[in-house]
Amino acid sequence: MARRMRARAAAGALAAAVAALWAGGAAAAAAPVIENARMLAPHHVLVQLGQPVADLSPGNFRVTEALAPDVAMEVTEVTVRPDGKLWLTLAQTVSPQNHYRLEIHRPRAVREVKPAAWALLLSVVLSASLINNFVFTRYLGLCVFFGVSKRQDTSIGMGITFTVVMVASAMLSWAIYTYVLSPLDLRFLQVLVFIGIVAFLVQLVDTVLKKLNRLLHQKFGIYLMLITTNCIILAVPLLNASANAGPWEALALAVGSGAGFAIALFLMSCAREKAELARVPKSFEGLPIAFALTGLFALAFMGFAGLNPFR
Amino acid sequence: MSTAAVPRPPAPGAGRLLLNGIFAENPVFRLALSLCPAVAVTTTVMNGLILGVAVLVVQVLSSVSVALVRRSIHPRVRIPVYTIIIAVWVSCIDMVLAAFFPALYAQVGLYVKLIVAFAIIISRLELFASKQPLVPTFFDGLGMGLGFLFALVVIGAFRELLGGGAIAGHALLPHKPLLFFILPAGGFFSIALLMAFFNLVERRLSGGAARRPGGGGGAHG
Amino acid sequence: MNRPTAAPAPRGEGRPLGEILRIAGSVTLYCALGGAILGATYVATNRYQEVARAASEHRSIAQLLRLGPDASVVEIRQYLDPARDQVVYRAAPRGAETGTELTFALSGQLLGRARAGLRGGEAEEGLKPLGRIFVAMQGDSTAGFVIEGETRGYKNVVRFFVALDAAFDILGVRVIEHEEDPGLGAEIATPWFQGQYFGRTAEGASTLDVTKDPMPEDWRAALLELQRLPPAQWRSRYGGLLERESVQPVYAVTGATISSRALTMGVRSTVNRFRYRWSLVSPLLGEKP
Repeated sequence: MARRMRARAAAGALAAAVAALWAGGAAAAAAPVIENARMLAPHHVLVQLGQPVADLSPGNFRVTEALAPDVAMEVTEVTVRPDGKLWLTLAQTVSPQNHYRLEIHRPRAVREVKPAAWALLLSVVLSASLINNFVFTRYLGLCVFFGVSKRQDTSIGMGITFTVVMVASAMLSWAIYTYVLSPLDLRFLQVLVFIGIVAFLVQLVDTVLKKLNRLLHQKFGIYLMLITTNCIILAVPLLNASANAGPWEALALAVGSGAGFAIALFLMSCAREKAELARVPKSFEGLPIAFALTGLFALAFMGFAGLNPFR
Repeated sequence: MSTAAVPRPPAPGAGRLLLNGIFAENPVFRLALSLCPAVAVTTTVMNGLILGVAVLVVQVLSSVSVALVRRSIHPRVRIPVYTIIIAVWVSCIDMVLAAFFPALYAQVGLYVKLIVAFAIIISRLELFASKQPLVPTFFDGLGMGLGFLFALVVIGAFRELLGGGAIAGHALLPHKPLLFFILPAGGFFSIALLMAFFNLVERRLSGGAARRPGGGGGAHG
Repeated sequence: MNRPTAAPAPRGEGRPLGEILRIAGSVTLYCALGGAILGATYVATNRYQEVARAASEHRSIAQLLRLGPDASVVEIRQYLDPARDQVVYRAAPRGAETGTELTFALSGQLLGRARAGLRGGEAEEGLKPLGRIFVAMQGDSTAGFVIEGETRGYKNVVRFFVALDAAFDILGVRVIEHEEDPGLGAEIATPWFQGQYFGRTAEGASTLDVTKDPMPEDWRAALLELQRLPPAQWRSRYGGLLERESVQPVYAVTGATISSRALTMGVRSTVNRFRYRWSLVSPLLGEKP
């Protein structure tokens, strides 16, 4: 009994010591001068301070755009809000979507102000799937689009298969472009390499699927073969390469384009199933009416232009 | 290591091949292959012309290359080898265009690189170039390429005239009648109308026999 | 026409190893041959592409600034060194191999000055390009400046040149590269849209904005003439209109507000940045090293 009490006391003392060290450590490490900073259109910066700043004259603050860190933007006024946050007024306009740098001279502090990474990536996904939909706005992938969109179940199957292969091939292509082709100045090989990756992946997925799950292979196998001649599967790595995208942007573009293609296929299949039952002029039967339907969808998707939920 | 053992009938003559590619088996209007560029690039006649010429060159070069080496391509890997050959020629054309025609290349750059994914070229290689000797293959490639060029130029003229009031940059109308036709939606409608028109012509010429327009079922590839 | 099915993947068991090796070998051979052809084409066309691009840039500059044949151009390349937080300027007359290199801290303090070679290698040094400035001299006096700028358009990056005269008034804007939609965003690359920037003072340029209001018809007619008439003659004919319009915001292309705004804001920030950087650099470049 006494031994247990002694053990408990020892554990308690140990915990207390650790807690004290932690608190001491936290107190010893200084809180950042600038806790948080946000750009507010059109002319303002909202700054939350972690430590007090004595000098509130505009000269103590420096705001620059990330693209031009040597050109200081003029700070015209600094006021303190009732909640303790600083309110800076700038002579030039700013936008919450751009990347800036905020500096305080005394005490010395630097803070990068940019939109949250997740917001950026989400906007890439939205752009690729809705605003700049690859089928309706960039007219890519039409080859396969018209063949597969005749029925709903084939559309869904193709959409899923395509997105999976799209993401895998885009990331692999990105990796090879960034770590092999670019540093070795072999960028002119990109077309050859990207299409090679696609062909290789399609074969790989086909073989693996056949071994793993015969049922799934029977269902999706036919779509795999069609993917190789889908323009989108080559366009996405090319776009990533020309924009020098980072890994997350490349992933976001791949996911967005796959999702956009799947949406387009599904919508089109619903419309075409209806069109099969309608009375269509003889010359328009088959592909021409499908093109006209696609035109109507493209018109509708134009409504997404300029969509920006993060303004 | 030999190609198909089934004996092929002798290939049709050059003139017949050319006309076939332009009309009867026109890649865009009849076979409905490689539609991406047909909508994307045909906003003006010049754009359609440049890409059409690029595809023509790639088609002829690829067909000729495959016809030259067709006996040494192992049948199991013929698709990857075709893809490699096409990719090489596409990259070359891409570089040549970028170097010697930069202004025009700026408009169609991405689509030139995408030629490697056009089913028209690889299907031609599979169906014709791998089985026929050099000279008929050359004319078949030329015919298909000319047919594609013809289709792109026609669609481009239609859209540029109705959407911009001009042809190849020369203004014919004092204003822009229907800007809609230059937009992607208008591109789809233009092709719908032109395809239906070609179907109509085809039906009238073949005496009203209800032949399904090529690609009415599945325009895959 | 049915699309041909792809060749099935070779099965593992029961296939002679020799055949697999032979297949792999022939595919590798084709790849190598293809790579060799591509390499040769690349080497042949790359040099030509560089020369063609430099020539077309020089033509644009000469047109924008209306340079005579005896003009000389000094090219200044601006770089950011993010690792050391420095800005580097490399200036050299067009076509020269060596020039002057100036290094500044971000605060504007001069850190160093040297004679440096201009041939490439910027990527290895970790330098990020900030655009180029072309200073044109006609005889002894400055004929004007052309500054390269970049902005994010509706579809992709829009690259443009802004031409300023010696007093930093805008002489013209020319879009060099864009991927905007023809008939809509691509209209920003037309002479009549770009003409709206002509004649704006430096102060006007630093507060440029865009309006969706329709452009007045008389101004549109005047802008179309800007291509055909020499500037002095155009000013004498349309001076009044220019005075009225050069204080107005830029009229956006109908249906392409995003592209119009992108170019306008791009021009604005390019001019602002140039004026600051030129004030740092110009006193040092005038002196002979």
